[in-house]
Parts: sequence; structure tokens; C-alpha cells
Amino acid sequence: MPCDFLMVQVYDKIVLAKVMKERLLDPASIASLSEGLSELVDRHPRISLVIDAADIGYLSSAMLGKLVALYKAIKVAKGRIAMGGVKPQLMPLFKVTQIDKLMPFFNDAGQAVTEFRRSPL
Amino acid sequence: MTTLRILGGDPPPCGTVLVSRQWPSRLDLKQEVLDEIAATLSANALVGEDDHPWLCLCLDEALVNAMLHGNEGDPDTPIDIEVAADGDRWYVTVSDRGTGFTSSQVPDSEDPESLLLEHGRGIRIMSEWLDDLTYYRSGATVRMARRRSPTGEPLPPLDALRQKDGDHAL
Repeated sequence: MPCDFLMVQVYDKIVLAKVMKERLLDPASIASLSEGLSELVDRHPRISLVIDAADIGYLSSAMLGKLVALYKAIKVAKGRIAMGGVKPQLMPLFKVTQIDKLMPFFNDAGQAVTEFRRSPL
Repeated sequence: MTTLRILGGDPPPCGTVLVSRQWPSRLDLKQEVLDEIAATLSANALVGEDDHPWLCLCLDEALVNAMLHGNEGDPDTPIDIEVAADGDRWYVTVSDRGTGFTSSQVPDSEDPESLLLEHGRGIRIMSEWLDDLTYYRSGATVRMARRRSPTGEPLPPLDALRQKDGDHAL
């Protein structure tokens, strides 16, 4: 079942996935988003994935774990991932867990798309 | 960042009890529990709006651990929740009916290999925001505590906190 709060746009070979949900705490939402993002990795070989996280206000460590799993899948597929628009109050979560060392973070998703366009895979 | 402590006995009394009740170990009720605790703390001016993402994350971790790991997801096995306050300091205590855990079961965040683990970040995150995170009954009870943040208080300087010595790496 497709994730009903994930809006996907493709620019050339760059996939922009906007998460349109504030709370990512319940297992169903986390599983749905994780599956939706994994499908994108399967569908787009060597994906350049930008996650627009501007709407996210709450997330759990389970969601962070899913993000790490996604990162690993993308690495295996020789793709890349970036985060855009993470709220300043959430950024410490990514720093504390060192997920900011796994992928680049941009102030907004547009910057991430621009950066990926500048350096195609 | 607080230090992870796992003690053997029951938690000591703390402040004035605001809420004390049991909930079934049902994840579909987790949001309801979480909202009730957050509303109690907000109503008593113990947390502000900026605290909510961290508060919800800490409560979510404690509730999931108690329901899923402690009580093994058995909906007939309850968890006990107590919300208390002492001046401008709040306490949330969550107990399950399990046997607890040991610190060796918590991934060491300083170990580079733990970076790619898909689990084990909860306690590390909770420790970052809470003033005190102590486990009692060998890990079957968790008590979280934090002093009310002054309005507009900036987030902690994480790089500095990370380098703070003497803390157990979570």
C-alpha cells in the first residue's frame, strides 16, 4: 500500500520525497513511510534521493533506525541521500545519533536538489 | 548529557504525584498515554512548547520499551505510569512487569560500528535531553526527570556535551 503522506517528484534523476506528516511516532506511520521510501530505492536505480522533512515536528528513534536502514540500502544501490528542511529543534537528534555524518543536511530541500544537480552521479 | 544508571531497588518517592495509573500494553493506545502525560506537564507549566518534540520522543521511547520489551507486547500486562513534580522539576516514572536489562545490551554510541545499527538509539537520545535518566528494578522501571526550561532557552551545545568526560557512553 503506498504511503499516503509521501509526495514524490522526479527532477531528471533526482527524486524529491516530501514527508507530509508532523508526527512520526506511531508504528503504522513509521512502517508506511519506510516502505514508501524503500520502494523509491527499488524503482530508481542509483537513486539521488532528497527527503523534504520540513513538515516533521516529532519523530522517534524507531524512525531514525529506519532512516539508517534506508541509507544502507541506498549505499548498496550505489545511490545517495540528502535531507532538507529539518526543523532546527530536531537537528540535535540527528547530531546526537551521528546520523548527520551519514548524509548531508540542507536548510531546505531545494538546496539539496540544486547540490545534487551540480554533481551528478 | 546524563549518565545511564541501572539500579536494583524500587525508585524513591519524588515530589507531589500528579498522575498515577495503569495502562494496558497496547501500542494503539500509546499516543493517548503520551498526550495525557504531556497535557499534565503542560497544565502544570512544567514544559513549554519547545520541549514537546523531545518530551514526546522520550515518552515514546519509555512507553515502547515498557510495552514491547518489558511486557513483551502482552496487552493484558499493564504498565504503571506516575507523573510527579517537585518545584520546577518534573518526573515521569514508567514501570513494566519484565526482568529489566543490563548496560551491556545498550549499544555504545562511541563505537563506530554502532553508527549503522538500526536500533539502540533511544536511551542515547533520552540521556541527551533529560537531567536524569535512572532505571530501577534492574531496568524494569525508568524514571525520567528534567527541570523546567526557561522560555527561550537555547538547545544544549551538543558538541560540548559530547566531549564531556566521565559519562558512560550510551
